[in-house]
Amino acid sequence: MPQGATRRTLLQGALAGLAAGGLTACGAPPLILPKSAVTGTPARGGTLHIARPAASAAETLDSASSLSAYEYLGAIYNRLVKLDVKGKTVPDLATEWSSNSDATQWTFTLRAGVSFHNGKPLTAADVRYTIAHILDPDTASPQAGTLSTMFGPKDVEAVDDRTVRFRLKTPNAEFPSLLTAYQCYIIPEGSAKTIGKTGIGTGPFRLESYRAAGAGAVVANEDYFDGRPVLDRIEFFSIQDTSARVNALLSSQVDLLAQTNMDNATARVVTGSRGTTVARVPNAQWYTIPMLATSKEFQDPLVRRAMKLAYDSDTLLQTAIQGTGSGGWDNPVPPNLEARLPGHRPYDPEQARALLKKAGKDGLRIPIYTSAYEPNLTPIAVAYAEQVRKAGIDLTITSVSSDSYYTAVWMKKPLMVSYWYTGRPVDQLLNQIFRSGSSYNESGLSDKRLDEVLDAARADTNEQSRRAKYQDAQQMIVDNGADMTPIFGDRIVGLSDRVVNYQEYGFEFDYVNIGLKASSS
Amino acid sequence: MIYVARRLLASVVTLFLASFFVFFAVQALPGDVAEQLLGQNATPEAVATLRAQLGLDQSVWVRYFDWLSSAVHGDLGTSLVSGESVAETLSTAFGHTLLIAIPAMIIGVTISVLLGVWAAARRGTKVDNTVSVLTLITMSIPEFVVATVLIIVFAIVIPIFPAVVLQGPSATFSDLLPALWLPIVTLVISMVAYIIRSTRSSTIDGLTTEYATAAELKGVKRRVVLFKHVLPTAMLPVLPVISINVAWLLGGVVVTETVFNYPGLGKLMIDSVSTRDLPVLQAIALLSACVYVLVNLAADLLALLLDPRQRTSRRRSSRPRPKPALEAKTSEVPT
Amino acid sequence: MSVVTAARRAKRLGTVTLVGIAMVAIIVLLTILSPIISPYDPIASNADQVLLGSSWEHWLGTDAYGRDVLSRTLEGGRFALLVSLLATSISVVVGTFVGTIAAYYEGWIDGAITRVLDALLAVPAILWLLLIVSVFGTGTWVIVVAISVVYSPAVARITRAAARPVLRSPYVVAAQSRGEMSLPILYREVIPNILDTILVEFAMRACWVILLVSTLSFLGFGVSPPTPDWGLMIQENRTALVVAPMGTLSPIIALSVLVVGLNLAADGLGKYFGVDRAMRGVA
Repeated sequence: MPQGATRRTLLQGALAGLAAGGLTACGAPPLILPKSAVTGTPARGGTLHIARPAASAAETLDSASSLSAYEYLGAIYNRLVKLDVKGKTVPDLATEWSSNSDATQWTFTLRAGVSFHNGKPLTAADVRYTIAHILDPDTASPQAGTLSTMFGPKDVEAVDDRTVRFRLKTPNAEFPSLLTAYQCYIIPEGSAKTIGKTGIGTGPFRLESYRAAGAGAVVANEDYFDGRPVLDRIEFFSIQDTSARVNALLSSQVDLLAQTNMDNATARVVTGSRGTTVARVPNAQWYTIPMLATSKEFQDPLVRRAMKLAYDSDTLLQTAIQGTGSGGWDNPVPPNLEARLPGHRPYDPEQARALLKKAGKDGLRIPIYTSAYEPNLTPIAVAYAEQVRKAGIDLTITSVSSDSYYTAVWMKKPLMVSYWYTGRPVDQLLNQIFRSGSSYNESGLSDKRLDEVLDAARADTNEQSRRAKYQDAQQMIVDNGADMTPIFGDRIVGLSDRVVNYQEYGFEFDYVNIGLKASSS
Repeated sequence: MIYVARRLLASVVTLFLASFFVFFAVQALPGDVAEQLLGQNATPEAVATLRAQLGLDQSVWVRYFDWLSSAVHGDLGTSLVSGESVAETLSTAFGHTLLIAIPAMIIGVTISVLLGVWAAARRGTKVDNTVSVLTLITMSIPEFVVATVLIIVFAIVIPIFPAVVLQGPSATFSDLLPALWLPIVTLVISMVAYIIRSTRSSTIDGLTTEYATAAELKGVKRRVVLFKHVLPTAMLPVLPVISINVAWLLGGVVVTETVFNYPGLGKLMIDSVSTRDLPVLQAIALLSACVYVLVNLAADLLALLLDPRQRTSRRRSSRPRPKPALEAKTSEVPT
Repeated sequence: MSVVTAARRAKRLGTVTLVGIAMVAIIVLLTILSPIISPYDPIASNADQVLLGSSWEHWLGTDAYGRDVLSRTLEGGRFALLVSLLATSISVVVGTFVGTIAAYYEGWIDGAITRVLDALLAVPAILWLLLIVSVFGTGTWVIVVAISVVYSPAVARITRAAARPVLRSPYVVAAQSRGEMSLPILYREVIPNILDTILVEFAMRACWVILLVSTLSFLGFGVSPPTPDWGLMIQENRTALVVAPMGTLSPIIALSVLVVGLNLAADGLGKYFGVDRAMRGVA
């Protein structure tokens, strides 16, 4: 229901202009986006309304599933450990952890006095059960691939009520970071069959109602170990159509749009309307241009190198998304992570041209695929094509319907634009997307040397030299990799101007601190 | 009675054929449903697991007859995506659609018959011209434009109505109540034009018959002539136009429901198209065929009641009739 | 034919028809000429020129990607017009063929054809289209074929009804009695007699196909971005309607002019031929 004051005056003005013929030279003002979300002291209590696209009609509250209802997870569950903004692994349900000297055994100590929403105290058995559930082939969890190479369900041991031990097959000094994935929320023992609907966790909110691809609500968990959340209640609504979602925000039916990276026009409308504004989640969208290394176009490393040298990330950032993000320079590690290799590769269209000539591919002419799947894919494709033209590369923009983009194009066509959410720890990021044979290795490149460096990094228990190894891996990806990272984009999130302390990183909203301003009306 | 029986039989045959076409059109699907469902997470293992779960490897004919015989018993299978009973999902959605379709139908038919008769009675005047221009405009503006404009004006600029339905399939009547009106208006606008035009045309024909002229000459009031004598006969050829428009509302809801995020049949259809949820798609198509057949049957029987002459004229087709109304019946509808 | 007779003939068609035909002609002409007259590349985006209002450089302003709205509107009818022309022609040809066959053979063939037509018509056109598109994906040819499949039965039903009285006319009956009872009769005698119906049908059908194609594009099952297309432009720009109205209004106006033109032409032709279009109402 429309609530609150109206945007009437402002829009009526616009409508009057429209009625007057709309032909007047009244260009829209340049878009100035707020740098960060509004912070401040929220009023205690209140109900936040969030509109979200449902993962599918089969979505579930089981975080291990590939079809989890992502927005609910952080509200109702906790992980053992989570990532902070800088990519560091910090405590969640586990207060401390340590490994043996060669990083093959990891022991986690659980927080004392934590209970599930049904009153049952959290114990090590629940953790063991959760991990077994993730590894269960029937769950088909996206995180199973990463974890199962290191240990099996039998290698997780509940030492006592508050101690869990993982025995790994190979050393891994970054192991805790792999448990920060949003598939690793801890569920009560024995709940695998029901968790998809009950959502019983330890999180700051308790599930009140939930319907797959429908509406649902969570209410504040008074006994939350980290203090009661600010809000009393959050209501979630599924709206598949992006325009409908934006309309719901504009008409004050909801306060926040989740998983909706707004394009420039929408951001402009939302900032220009009274009662609504936008917030930026810095570098939340990791855009990639995978070159399929198995294709005849890109099997030659010289051509791949040329495709990179031919463009300037910082210029592309400006043309494609008006500077709302950071240049990637083909290094996949987001700039806010401490592990990112400093500096960047050169921009050299002349050398690119020379390399192509050397490879016998001068005047390379192929399609670059894009889709409306995400609003910035096409601007990135267009901007990239425009830049590489200087190096004699002729790309035709080919747009494909969103429905079939990730089935017919991704990992099938030689050149396309894609994206991921950032928020992966550096070890998972590099291993999941770049290791030979990983199911998410979207360029299909097998680089044994890279695999070896990644293995060596995992086995290195010294933090300093381990980071150096991850940076070597980044350098290898920049030099030889087939998956380009043109830019990281800020996610432009539409919200009501009553919302304060909105924060989102590492695949999770900060549900504890988000709140609403004291209602002035 | 024989006519009625034959008409019923024909309806059943039509339905059967429609189910056949629908099923085989859908079964021609080239993509791998399992792959589609998993999208970016479609690892080969996951796809294999899902394919096995869905039992996609049976023979097409076996599946058709299984599907049809279950459908007759009210079992439409389970959704490939949500795993819920299609019949249940469908009946909820259909119920929601009826909430906007029935008022739209009643309002639409009333308004358009009245406007049509009015325009006919005032033939050639300003009223008639205005109505003509209005019908022309509503015929020429696509529904999605109407819906978009309504949202911007009545939900955002002047926030009287909600822009979208938030609650989804679990919405209760009181959730939906404020959100019904804009979709209803959209549907009404999209259906009136053709009924107005045919009513007008048919009424003009009726007014120019000797009978009507004579009655008017005898001093019977024009209004009485119009509503007592002309209209009942004039409505006869309009009936098929109305029935087609009513049946077509089910197509019209696709766009309307998408724009308003209204949890009815149309939105279910669009969602199922993007997820390739075949059982749901088949069921929706079958349901709309049923609606079409039923509405047509009702219109024909109503025509029979209004004009018993139909029974005889049907067999003796050599006899001149005022209009080959039902035979040359309108086919279908613009969308 | 001299200019005078041509003019006289045109005059008899009526002002309404002529206005309608002129409206359609303008849009068609602009669309055909668009590659020459478009001031800008309709696909080239320009990051520092987004959502501009009208100016001398961009008469109708720019959209969210900084693309020239005028150029996009001019080119935006190409897909709809092309599909409409192809699909309407195919539907009319196939429909007329099937319809006349059904009318020619009475009895079980007619009965069978009628049942099949009825079954195809029982599912609303947009549902059929969505089904077909979800099965085969989108693409110009898929859409053309899909619309033809959906609309041929409708045309067939109309031509069947129109052809029946012709086939029972003494003239044709005489031909039959001479033993010339074959397809040539059908086409030599019947087609010219139902040409009026077919023409009106063509104009009406074309107009619905245009609306249908735009709806498909709007729903995201028609052409893919960044191709300029009216339905898609409305879909893409509608959120920004209050900021940069021309991006949405221009395609709406272009689309409406075309459809109103086709409707007027169909009305006028109907009147001219004495085919009561209103009564065939939706058909």
